[in-house]
Amino acid sequence: MAQVKRRKVPFILLAVFLVTAVLVGGYYSQQSAGASESQPVDYSHKVHIDAGMECLYCHSNAGRSPVAGVPSVQKCIGCHQTIATDNADVQLVTEYWNNNEPIPWERVNKQPDFVYFSHQPHVISGLACEECHGDIGEMDLAAPMEKMDMGWCLDCHEQQHEDIAPHLWDCLVCHK
Amino acid sequence: MKKATLSRRSFLKLVGGAAAAGATVGAMPVAAKKVGEHFEPYVVPPEEALPGKATWYATTCRMCAAGCGIMVRTINGRAKKIEGNPSYPLNDGKTCARGQAGLQALYNPDRLRNAVKQNGRESRIFEPLHWETALSSLMDKIEAADPANIIFFGGVMADNLYYVTSRWLEAIGAPPPLQYDLHAALEGRATSAKAAKKLFGTMQQPIYDIANADVIFSFGANFVETWMSPVSYSRAYSKFRGQTGGRGYLVQFEPRMSATAATADQWVPIRPGMDGLVALALGKILGGGSFSGMYHNIDIKEIAHASGIELDTLKKMARILANADHPVVVPGGTPAGHSNGYDSYLAIHSLNLILNQLGREGGVYISPNSPAEALEAAPMPNSFADVEALIERMNGGEVEILFVHGANPVFELPQAAAFKEALANVPYIVSFSSFVDETAVQSDLILPDNTYLESWGYQVASSGGDRPAVASQQPIVERMYDTRSTTEVIMALAKEMGGAAAKALPWESEILFMEDMSGSIYGSSLTPYTTKTGKEFWAAFRQHGGWWANKKLSAEPEAVGFKNSPLPVAAPNFDGRAREYPLFLHPYPSVSLSDGRGANLPWLQEAPDPMTTAAWNTWVEMNPQTAHKYGVHDNDVVKIISPNGEIEARVVVYPGIRPDVVAIPVGQGHEDYGRYAQKRGSNPMDLVGTITDPKTGALAWASARVRIERTGRKEKLARLESLHGHGKEELT
Repeated sequence: MAQVKRRKVPFILLAVFLVTAVLVGGYYSQQSAGASESQPVDYSHKVHIDAGMECLYCHSNAGRSPVAGVPSVQKCIGCHQTIATDNADVQLVTEYWNNNEPIPWERVNKQPDFVYFSHQPHVISGLACEECHGDIGEMDLAAPMEKMDMGWCLDCHEQQHEDIAPHLWDCLVCHK
Repeated sequence: MKKATLSRRSFLKLVGGAAAAGATVGAMPVAAKKVGEHFEPYVVPPEEALPGKATWYATTCRMCAAGCGIMVRTINGRAKKIEGNPSYPLNDGKTCARGQAGLQALYNPDRLRNAVKQNGRESRIFEPLHWETALSSLMDKIEAADPANIIFFGGVMADNLYYVTSRWLEAIGAPPPLQYDLHAALEGRATSAKAAKKLFGTMQQPIYDIANADVIFSFGANFVETWMSPVSYSRAYSKFRGQTGGRGYLVQFEPRMSATAATADQWVPIRPGMDGLVALALGKILGGGSFSGMYHNIDIKEIAHASGIELDTLKKMARILANADHPVVVPGGTPAGHSNGYDSYLAIHSLNLILNQLGREGGVYISPNSPAEALEAAPMPNSFADVEALIERMNGGEVEILFVHGANPVFELPQAAAFKEALANVPYIVSFSSFVDETAVQSDLILPDNTYLESWGYQVASSGGDRPAVASQQPIVERMYDTRSTTEVIMALAKEMGGAAAKALPWESEILFMEDMSGSIYGSSLTPYTTKTGKEFWAAFRQHGGWWANKKLSAEPEAVGFKNSPLPVAAPNFDGRAREYPLFLHPYPSVSLSDGRGANLPWLQEAPDPMTTAAWNTWVEMNPQTAHKYGVHDNDVVKIISPNGEIEARVVVYPGIRPDVVAIPVGQGHEDYGRYAQKRGSNPMDLVGTITDPKTGALAWASARVRIERTGRKEKLARLESLHGHGKEELT
């Protein structure tokens, strides 16, 4: 009896460790998820898309640079010096502008450093933004994609035209 | 009862396994988490910047005096990488290690971030000042001083800064800037210029066309490491080796094998100070032609004995010269480091004369004239004698304000010159250093200049290249801190003073000054790019990184100063008696740290010396014979004692050095100058005395004799090469 008891302690420890480690491991292996609830300005993608704006109006570098770009404060204020000026969040943006300060947006999606990702070829090939970013046009705060990992990339690369698919399977396409 | 325990080992195993399990399960959707990163997009984006895409700007390197053209890659307004400007003819798209490390000057954590005054010299307590306050207190001092007692001490100054400073000083009645730094002394710039003045009637730097030579005799010109424009000469050297019809033949005369000697076909470990005599012996063997009178009284046997080179070797070498189609003989840094430096230069240049290689392909040219009169190169540096005269004036209370820019004389000058002590007699000292170096610590006010990647400027190529060229310098990034360009500071002072000073510098801003200066080349028929208006030229000048002639255009030297009469080369003087101090000291500029100015950049600290693979400290190179005699080995700490002082250094047993010479790289031993530089190694200039060449006033920096004493301590020197395998790496 005593012997059984002695063995039980490590098993419980082991179980606790395993559960904790699973959670911790899962947490850190998610490279793509980001914060959605704590942006400095309560910005709504839905409102802007509903108003008829294109993604590329604000993320104007997506077609010509590796990074899509987050708009400058100047770009926000370009419209918002006249539009919705009574909105509290717009006033917050105006405050940043008046103070000549950048808005410290929280990053939403991120690829790890060992992945070379460029928006440019994806946008040029006609891929719609929502294919990867989800239905952002229906979201207020941008929510992260839950999973942007290698299998997910390859699923899509695999389905491309047979002329190009083998190339898109090459490790060096993303891991330079 | 046995306690339930979990050993450290099994704990790690458990955690490792669980983490792996966690990673697999990570494929499941989980709650959103913070990446913990912010985007900070521009408030107002610059027109030309595209986030994520690099923008390259052309500018000028200022890590040494050569002024190579560089391109700097910037992303989101930050400088990321420096490369050579492929269009610029001096360096042909290449850079050296020092050029690469320029980024670390920009981002250095020890940079001064604003103007400061020091509360008591050497207190190292600095009080930040608003620029207006700093400049107005400086104005008060200037107005109260006798202009003749205002001295501007520069290193080898950037051409634009020299232009502005000298005009201002002239207008207020002060003497012209004094240009002196240790690197220039170690490469023999002043001696070279004075010899050129005598022989060719011009102070322009001679240029040696080694690319097209078939034989090079180099007397201590370490042109692949540190001499003049090492990038330009290294490029030329690769052409010398790669030419059709043979790979050329290089003979290097120097007491210590430098990287140039290591790559040479023949290294001649000449006895220190004998360069001129060996040149005379070679000339005597060659006959001298119509200048045989120069070698009238030469006894080659005697010279062979004195120089430590066998007579047969001398004869063989003379034959190599005689049989060459395009030989060139290059006087470099080492001969200039002796009291007979000037004589040696004349004797060495005379070989080029009797070989008929002045102004011929593969021979000697004169630095191409400046492309426009207004854009002239700064004059050649002053000699050490001029610095000694300044020290005397300081001691006599004849210097009221001392400005120091681009040099660190307290560190660079021999201790024996007592420059630091003389500073105590100067009531007001102003430093323009970006860092608190040894001289800044002695100053009252520091007005930090922008680093060169934040500055405007231009530099006329004068130490290499085959055509007139001027490199343009423009800010690559916005100023990181509240620093101010020294050119702008001087312009502001001149404006404030009004009268002649304001008239001498009439430009509203530094940019307008630059535009005006570069405009003087606009319209030249030699232009490499066509522009229709002055404005367009100004844009192209910056975009291309300068201006250069579109074809090869070398200036031929006129042999005005050679006489058919005996060339005297005096025996060199040394500090200390041979019996007491049996070894010669050979200090040499470090390929990475130069004269010490690179010591605050960790990339340069960690770059190993190419010959010894040592880094991060000071070492003394000793021939295995000498080391055996003194009973010392690698990593032993020894005292090196000269009549002028003593330092400690770690031994590197190095076969590439004469047994009667010890060599120590210059650059370490800083008391101040930031976290990477200070309290590291020792400064061999503490051993050097104040012997000068009486004919030029140049410092005979290789004139110290030393002795070695063991300390019994051993301290490991960081070296890339393993010492266990006798040069062979062992994989264990």
